[in-house]
Amino acid sequence: MSVLSLRQAPPERLDFLNIAPATLAALSPAEAERLPIGTTRRGLVLGDCFQVSLDGGDSLTIEGGHERLDRVGGALAAGTIRVVGDVGQRLGEGMAGGTLTVTGTAGPFAGTGATGGTITIAGDAGDYAGGAVYAAKAGLDGATLVIKGTAGRHLGDRMRRGLILVERAGDYAGSRMIAGTIAAGSVGDDAGYGMRRGTLLLGSHGRLTPTFVETGEHDLVFLRLLARSLKTLSPRHAEIAAGPLRRYSGDLATIAKGEIWAAA
Amino acid sequence: MTAWVKGDATDAEGAIAAAAALLAAAHAPVFAGLNADVAAIRAAYRLAGTIGASLDTQGAAGTYADLGALSRVGAMTSTPAEVQGRADVVLVVGAKAGTSTLASALRGSKPVRGLAAGADRQVLAVAGASAQALASDLALLRAHAKGHLADATPLNEIARALYAARYGAVLYDPAELGELGVETVQGLVRDVNEITRCFALSLGGPDQDRSVVQVAAWTTGQAPRTGFGRKVPEHDPWRFDAARQVSTGEADAALWLSTLPAARPDWLGALPSIAIVGTGSPEAAPGTAEVVIAVGVPGASAGGVLWNEGRAALTYRPGTGGGASAADVLARIEHHFAGKDS
Repeated sequence: MSVLSLRQAPPERLDFLNIAPATLAALSPAEAERLPIGTTRRGLVLGDCFQVSLDGGDSLTIEGGHERLDRVGGALAAGTIRVVGDVGQRLGEGMAGGTLTVTGTAGPFAGTGATGGTITIAGDAGDYAGGAVYAAKAGLDGATLVIKGTAGRHLGDRMRRGLILVERAGDYAGSRMIAGTIAAGSVGDDAGYGMRRGTLLLGSHGRLTPTFVETGEHDLVFLRLLARSLKTLSPRHAEIAAGPLRRYSGDLATIAKGEIWAAA
Repeated sequence: MTAWVKGDATDAEGAIAAAAALLAAAHAPVFAGLNADVAAIRAAYRLAGTIGASLDTQGAAGTYADLGALSRVGAMTSTPAEVQGRADVVLVVGAKAGTSTLASALRGSKPVRGLAAGADRQVLAVAGASAQALASDLALLRAHAKGHLADATPLNEIARALYAARYGAVLYDPAELGELGVETVQGLVRDVNEITRCFALSLGGPDQDRSVVQVAAWTTGQAPRTGFGRKVPEHDPWRFDAARQVSTGEADAALWLSTLPAARPDWLGALPSIAIVGTGSPEAAPGTAEVVIAVGVPGASAGGVLWNEGRAALTYRPGTGGGASAADVLARIEHHFAGKDS
């Protein structure tokens, strides 16, 4: 297992887009230490901030995260990255596959544009987790994003594919969703604002968006399949899917093919 | 030119040298405000490119609410003069648009050109207590306009009026609505355009953001919040938010450019800073920043190209002359870095 150990708090935001097991496997430790990661005119390289220990394998541990580490795991297509600590914005941006784990908290836009693999955040996530960055086509785009703590506002904004599992989220969860599934223990107000398609499964929620209409209680095969697929990731969320649910359809301000399943 | 360094009055050359030294000592300087004429904004982008600074604007909240919605759903828009000349139905969204001078001008006049010439003008309003309440009302309005909801509410009446218009317009303040609200307005306008003409009209703030958007686009190909830390222009609206960079300690020096009147950002005193302000403004005082340089006010004491809100264009405004130009000050600061590899 390759290990990068943070020496001290970084003096500026660092860009980890190109730091992945596959990239490091092709490099000698001296070459890896010269990889540019700085974002200001200081011109910081990996060796300036991290102690580098490489074994050429497909798993990388970043010992000592920091909220200034941006785009961690963005280039991951296979293998594992584990961050012991926090990360900054755009965790796993555009990630294609593999496993990305953060033991601390993540900044905004975690999992944005990620097309495959699994991202797990043990702590909290910032605003727009699984959401789209400025002018991007979509937010989460096929990957699985698991947030064990609390996510900020706009969870899954403009997400297009994939699954988000979250304990708690703020207002506007699933805003402008294009498609995909969000399962949440609880969310704040106005979930699903501007939602076109997609599914929200909610244990509890704040004020409902007024442009959703209740369509009654249903017993659908889809819900049993959803419960089964959630079971391996989170039995608690699977229980919500298996329990009695009320269905709301919306957002009526758009094409209204989205649905909210709220625990009855 | 009036100038102060650390509270003491000095000459132009001394203040410019002090400003250059302050920026040279920094690793991640931020330029904020950009509330000035086009030449000064251009000079600010050039200086930022030379020294690796990032830029942010006075009215970024509204600018990015509009740009974010534009990038996703596009925009059907008009100019204030066109709306005044042609609109027979105007929907005013939010409190800020409701109290704007354009809204009161529209209430007191009739369309004089086009299909609706001579007709009475109907001015309708949607007001919400907060951005969230406004966004909800706009979603309900769009649902009514689409025919997905059809109860007898005032929103339904507004939707019918927009469809019955010959030239409809929706006025809003982007900072008040936020990106979600603006996107719903643009979606509504697009829906109505399937039947009749309708345009959204975003009201600019008391800043030069509309100029900055254009200068940034032709200079960097990007929107305003751009950083040059890695020599190439990188656009990131979250990372290059100046207030955020200062509060997290990422920025280590600031240059606030506001030759038009504006209150200085409350964080300006938190780090070594330079203020380039208009002569006679309350901020042209020794305590505003470590280095303060007072220059001509574009369109008043100095000539300059500014955003013309009525015509929605960049136009030259002559000045009385006599004031030094902000563009010249910025170019002279940049001259200190000539030949040095920053």
